[in-house]
Amino acid sequence: MDLGEEIQKVYRWVAQSCNLGLFLLWHILHFIVTFWYFALRIANALESCLISSGLLKKYKALCSGKIQCLAIVMDSKDADQTSKVIELLQWLGALGVKYVCLYDTEGVLKKSKEAITGSGRFSHAKSSEKEENDIGIRIMQEAAKTDPLLDQEIITVEFASFSDGKAAVVKAANLLFVKYYLGGEQEEPILSESHVAEALEAIGCGGPDPDLLLVYGPGRCHLGFPAWRIRYTEIVHMGLLKSANYGSLVKAIYKFTMVRQNYESGYEISNLDACNGRYVQSVGEDARVSEAMEENPQFYRTVVKLPQPGPEKAVKK
Amino acid sequence: MHSLRFPYFPLPKITNVPVKSRPSSPFSVVPKLHKLNLSSANPHAAAEDHCTQVKSWELVDREEKGDHQVAEELAAAGLRAELMPKHVAVIMDGNRRWALERGLSVEDGHRGGGRVMKQIVEICLKLGVKVLTFFAFSTENWIRPAVSGLLFFVFAALPFNFSISHLCLSIGRLIYGPCMQEEVAFLMSLFEEVINSDLEDFKRLGVRMSVIGNKSELPMSLQGLIRLAEESTKANSKLQLVGAMNYSGRYDITQACKSIAKKVKDGLLPLQEIDEALFQQELETKCIEFPQPDLLIRTSGELRVSNFMLWQMAYTELVFVEKLYPDFGEADFIAAVSSFQKRGRRRGGNKY
Repeated sequence: MDLGEEIQKVYRWVAQSCNLGLFLLWHILHFIVTFWYFALRIANALESCLISSGLLKKYKALCSGKIQCLAIVMDSKDADQTSKVIELLQWLGALGVKYVCLYDTEGVLKKSKEAITGSGRFSHAKSSEKEENDIGIRIMQEAAKTDPLLDQEIITVEFASFSDGKAAVVKAANLLFVKYYLGGEQEEPILSESHVAEALEAIGCGGPDPDLLLVYGPGRCHLGFPAWRIRYTEIVHMGLLKSANYGSLVKAIYKFTMVRQNYESGYEISNLDACNGRYVQSVGEDARVSEAMEENPQFYRTVVKLPQPGPEKAVKK
Repeated sequence: MHSLRFPYFPLPKITNVPVKSRPSSPFSVVPKLHKLNLSSANPHAAAEDHCTQVKSWELVDREEKGDHQVAEELAAAGLRAELMPKHVAVIMDGNRRWALERGLSVEDGHRGGGRVMKQIVEICLKLGVKVLTFFAFSTENWIRPAVSGLLFFVFAALPFNFSISHLCLSIGRLIYGPCMQEEVAFLMSLFEEVINSDLEDFKRLGVRMSVIGNKSELPMSLQGLIRLAEESTKANSKLQLVGAMNYSGRYDITQACKSIAKKVKDGLLPLQEIDEALFQQELETKCIEFPQPDLLIRTSGELRVSNFMLWQMAYTELVFVEKLYPDFGEADFIAAVSSFQKRGRRRGGNKY
C-alpha cells in the first residue's frame, strides 16, 4: 500500500513537472506567434509609409488606366466619416481613377452626397436615380467640351446602397414582366442576361461592373453591393476605414494591375498588355458586343470573340 | 492573429486504489482530427488516387463519438461549435494549373480536385456544417481552350493587322474546337464517375445530394444520374452536398425573373407580391435549407467570386486561399473556418 502511494506521488510529481514545462512551452509558442504577427503589422505599416513617401520605385510606375471603375464598400457605421471618404476619393483621383462607386448598406453615403461632392473636386456626382444620372452625364459631357483638361481632374462618383442591389433586381423583374409578358402573346418570350441588364439600366440601377472592389470594414464581405455588377470584380479587404492610408491603397491597386487575370474562359491576358492600350479587334458577328462597344467604349477595353459550340457568348476582359 | 489554445492535461487523483488497477494517465492524448493519408511528395501517386479508387470512406460517424468528444476535437482545432458556418461554398480553382506545374495532364488535375472534394465533405460532416456547395462547372466553362489553341488566340490579341489576327483566330478555332470538347467531355464523365462511385457512401453517411444549374444542357446520362442521386438521398439530413453545374449567378437571377414572370402571367402570383423574399424562393438555391453561404472559400489566389451565387452572397465571408485546389487540405479548410469564426460578422448592422 505504501509502495502504491509512493508510486502515485511520483506520478503526480512527474505529471506536475511536465505540465509546468508544457505550460511554459505553450506560452513561449504563443509569444512567438504573437510577436510574429506584430512584426508583420509593423512591416506593413512601414511599407505603407514608404509607398506614401514615394521611396519605393516600383509603385511609382502604377498604371491605374486598367481600372475603369473602382468600387468602395464600407460599413454604414463608418460611412459618416465624411472627411475620410473625401480623403479616399482624393487619393484615388491622384492615382488617376476616373470612376468610383461608393457603397454602404444603409445609404448613409447617399445622404452625405452633398457634403462629399461639395468639396469641389467631385462636383460631378452620379447617384443611382435615373434623373440624376442623366444630369450627371450631361454635366460631364458639357464640361468636357468646354475644357478637355477638366475631364482629367474629375472623378465620376456614384452612390449606391442596398436598395440598388436586390430590390433593384426585383424591380427589373417587374419591368421585364410588364414589357414582355403582358402583351398577351402565346409564345413564351426568351429572356436572357442582356434583358435583365437592360431592365436594370432602365430603372436607373445599371452602371459599369467594377474592376476592383475595396472593402473597408471588419467583415470580409461586400455587404450586399449590387450583385449583378460584381461578376468578375476583384474583391480586396482593406481593413477598417479609420486605418485607411494611401500606401495600402496604392498597394492594392498595384497588385490588381500586376496580376494576370485568368477570367473563366481559361484565357490569361496580362494586365500590362491591357494597361499599355492594346486592343483586340472584335472579330465575328456578335452584334450585341459590337453595339455595347459603340455605346460604352470606355467599358470595353479588350474584347475577344470566342468560338462557341452553343449559344454565342462574349467575354468582357 | 492566431490564438493558441492550451491543451488540458488532467492530473491523476490520489486515491486508495490497489496496485493492480491502472492509474489515470497524466497525459491525455490530444485528440487528432481524422487525416487522410495523402502523398504530396509523389504527384503521380496523388493523381492516381482519384475518386474511383477510393473504395471506402474512413470516417467515424459524428454521432457515434458523442457531443463531448466532438466538442473536444473542435476545441483542439481552435474551433467553436456555436460559430460553425451552416453553409460553406467552395470555388474549386486551380486544377489545371496544378496539373501543368507537375507535368501532368489536365485530367489528372481534375481528378486530384475530386479527391479534395471528398475530403472536404468528410470534414464538413465532422464539423457539423449543414450545407456544402461546390462550384463545379460554370455556364462560362463550356469554352475551355486547349493550350495549343490558346497560342493562336494570344497571337490574335497582338496588334497585328486585321487579316493576320483573323487568320490566327480561324486556325485557333479549328484546333481549339475539338480540344475544348475533350476537356468538357472529360469533366462531364468525371461528374458521372463521382456520383456513381460515391452515391452509396453518401446514402450511408446521411448526405443529401442536390445539383443546381441549367441541367437541361448537361448530357442525358448525367441528367439521369443526377435525378437518381437527388431522389435516393432526399431523405438525408446530416449534410446537403450541392453541386453547381452549368450554373452562374446571372443565369440564376435571369431564370428567377422568367419563372416569376411566368407565374404572374399564369395567375399563380399577383404582381404586387413580388419582393426579395419571393424572388429568393425562385432562385436555383430554393432547394437548400440555408441558401445563403456563410463562408466562401476560393483557392488558387484569385480574388473574385466569378459569377457564383451573386444574389446569395451579400453577407458571405470571403476567404481567398493561395493554394491551388488539389493542394487544399484539411488543415487549410479548418484554417478558413477558424478565420471565419474570428471575424465579427454583421448582417445589415446587427452583429452576430
